[in-house]
Amino acid sequence: MSTKQIIGVFDDEALLLKATQKLKSHGVNIRDIYGPSADHDLIKNLTRESKLPYLSVFTGILTILLTFAFVYYVTVIDYPLHYGGKPVFAFPSLVVVMYLLCILITGAFTTFSFLTSEKMFPGKAPRLVDPRAAIDRFYLVLERNFNPDEITEWLREEGAEEIIEKETEA
Amino acid sequence: MLNNKIRYALVKGNKTYGQITDELLANVEQKPPLWWYGAMTIGTILLAIGAWAVYMSLSQGLGTWGLTNSVAWGWDIINFVWWIGIGHAGTAFSIFFLVFRQKWAGSINRAAEAMTVFAVVCAAMFPLLHMGRPWLAFYIAPYPNTRLLWLNFNSPLFWDVLAITTYLITSIMLWYMGMVPDLATIAQRTKNKVGKFLYGMFSMGWNGSLYSYNRYETLMKILGGLAAPLVISVHTIVALDFAVSVMPGWHTTILPPYFFVGAIFSGFAMVLTIMILLRKAFKLTDYITEKHLDNIAQVLKFGSLIIGLAYVTELFTAWYSGVEYEIFTFFRARFTGNYSVQFWVMFTFNAIIPQLFWFKKARRNLVILFIVSIIINIGMWFERYIILVSTLAQDYLPSSWTPYHPTMVDIGIYLGTFGLFTCGMMMFIRYIPIIAINEVKPIARAEKLRKLKEQNHEH
Repeated sequence: MSTKQIIGVFDDEALLLKATQKLKSHGVNIRDIYGPSADHDLIKNLTRESKLPYLSVFTGILTILLTFAFVYYVTVIDYPLHYGGKPVFAFPSLVVVMYLLCILITGAFTTFSFLTSEKMFPGKAPRLVDPRAAIDRFYLVLERNFNPDEITEWLREEGAEEIIEKETEA
Repeated sequence: MLNNKIRYALVKGNKTYGQITDELLANVEQKPPLWWYGAMTIGTILLAIGAWAVYMSLSQGLGTWGLTNSVAWGWDIINFVWWIGIGHAGTAFSIFFLVFRQKWAGSINRAAEAMTVFAVVCAAMFPLLHMGRPWLAFYIAPYPNTRLLWLNFNSPLFWDVLAITTYLITSIMLWYMGMVPDLATIAQRTKNKVGKFLYGMFSMGWNGSLYSYNRYETLMKILGGLAAPLVISVHTIVALDFAVSVMPGWHTTILPPYFFVGAIFSGFAMVLTIMILLRKAFKLTDYITEKHLDNIAQVLKFGSLIIGLAYVTELFTAWYSGVEYEIFTFFRARFTGNYSVQFWVMFTFNAIIPQLFWFKKARRNLVILFIVSIIINIGMWFERYIILVSTLAQDYLPSSWTPYHPTMVDIGIYLGTFGLFTCGMMMFIRYIPIIAINEVKPIARAEKLRKLKEQNHEH
């Protein structure tokens, strides 16, 4: 099914933020905002907090437990090695291994989760709305669930530099 | 983060986003200057020397190195520790300054991270070759095998393998994920078909959506947070390789913090060297301002003070312990004996000369900055030399004392790693924006807003 979209082009983050807030208050669905950099005001005002940190804390705890189980199995159960009269189960030195593996696996897993949630993978073609979105323009993509003339009017009022109507395969 | 006060201009000259993109992509989009080919040629020649040395040590064995029964760790481990130290600064840069919200690191961390990745690869070469049979390197991985053997998880040498692998992989992730948006930008702009394909492939379908940026920033913070303790642990574990032994001069508890500070110190010196060169070569003076270099010099001054304190503390501990072997190593061998030249070079270069940075004039003078940064790198090399050779060559038993001299193969491998590093850095500055464009843009914008505010106050 193809949907019609209205795209407002802005050249300033402050204008974009105001416009977005206004359109939101009128009930227009915002599909996405594309831009060259992450403005912290925009992120704070328009997006929900990412759940990635919870995932990585969970992975970290799980990794520590699994690594502990592994090194305990190796050093105490499967291959107890006596040297220098030291105890077989030397917890402090196992901490180093647990700590390093925890960082390695958690880091890799978090990156992997990010790529999965963004549906990104090596070899996927970049899908920018417009080359300028990577340079200096912000693209506010709206769904046309309203009277298009009204949306256009609002956008113009808020200082959109350009308004594009587009049909996309959704 | 943007609400932090900025006390000085981080990006000079009121630039628009378009200007920033054009200027920072210049090194990728324009033809490389003549010196680039020159540097690449030198790098390749050094790499060829390294390849010869590696061939010699693989085909004829480690007898071609200058090692002896007493000095079983020579240039290989000296250079390993030296490169690891240099490899520290990159991640330290992006992470500690991310944690402390120091925005001035924004325009330096991409290059510093690149330096980290190549330096760690160079460092990893040495222990690998020191195994003698590097093709059996997989023996150090813990896996169920036909020999029914497991590793000794209590050994610092095993920790070291794990620490370096973890550090390398995490640094690469941090570096690579940090450049994904910039790669997408290049893929959009480039007209070269091969370039478009490759940059497009590596940008993994980045679309610049605000929601993606939100998750992306979270990811970078998590990776940064995970890598921050790594920066400390890697060199601590390298220090434990020495500290858990019973050799005089190694067997001290000060070694881990002392190694860590030394690593940060030498790494920042290398960052300074490289940033001065890049800034000059690519006219990045608006992004890497004098204030940036000044800040690095301040960190170096601080590092130098701690290093100096560590040297003196070591001497004090040796004297206070009353152990004759310790006293011999520190006061005879190092202070006045066979290794006194290296010792005093190390002391002067690391603890005294960087004190020049107390003077603002020295911090703002590019020539002085450059020379001192090189001096620190030499001084830090001598520090590792002193730690390794002076302890091993003259240990408990005078009958086993032996002088240590590197051979051509030792020197060749060291030069080879320089080649690897140079070629790596040259490829980096040819194909990847030196400064993280998507990170500099918000900084430039905050700068503009601040200026506007100030103007409004005046009226």
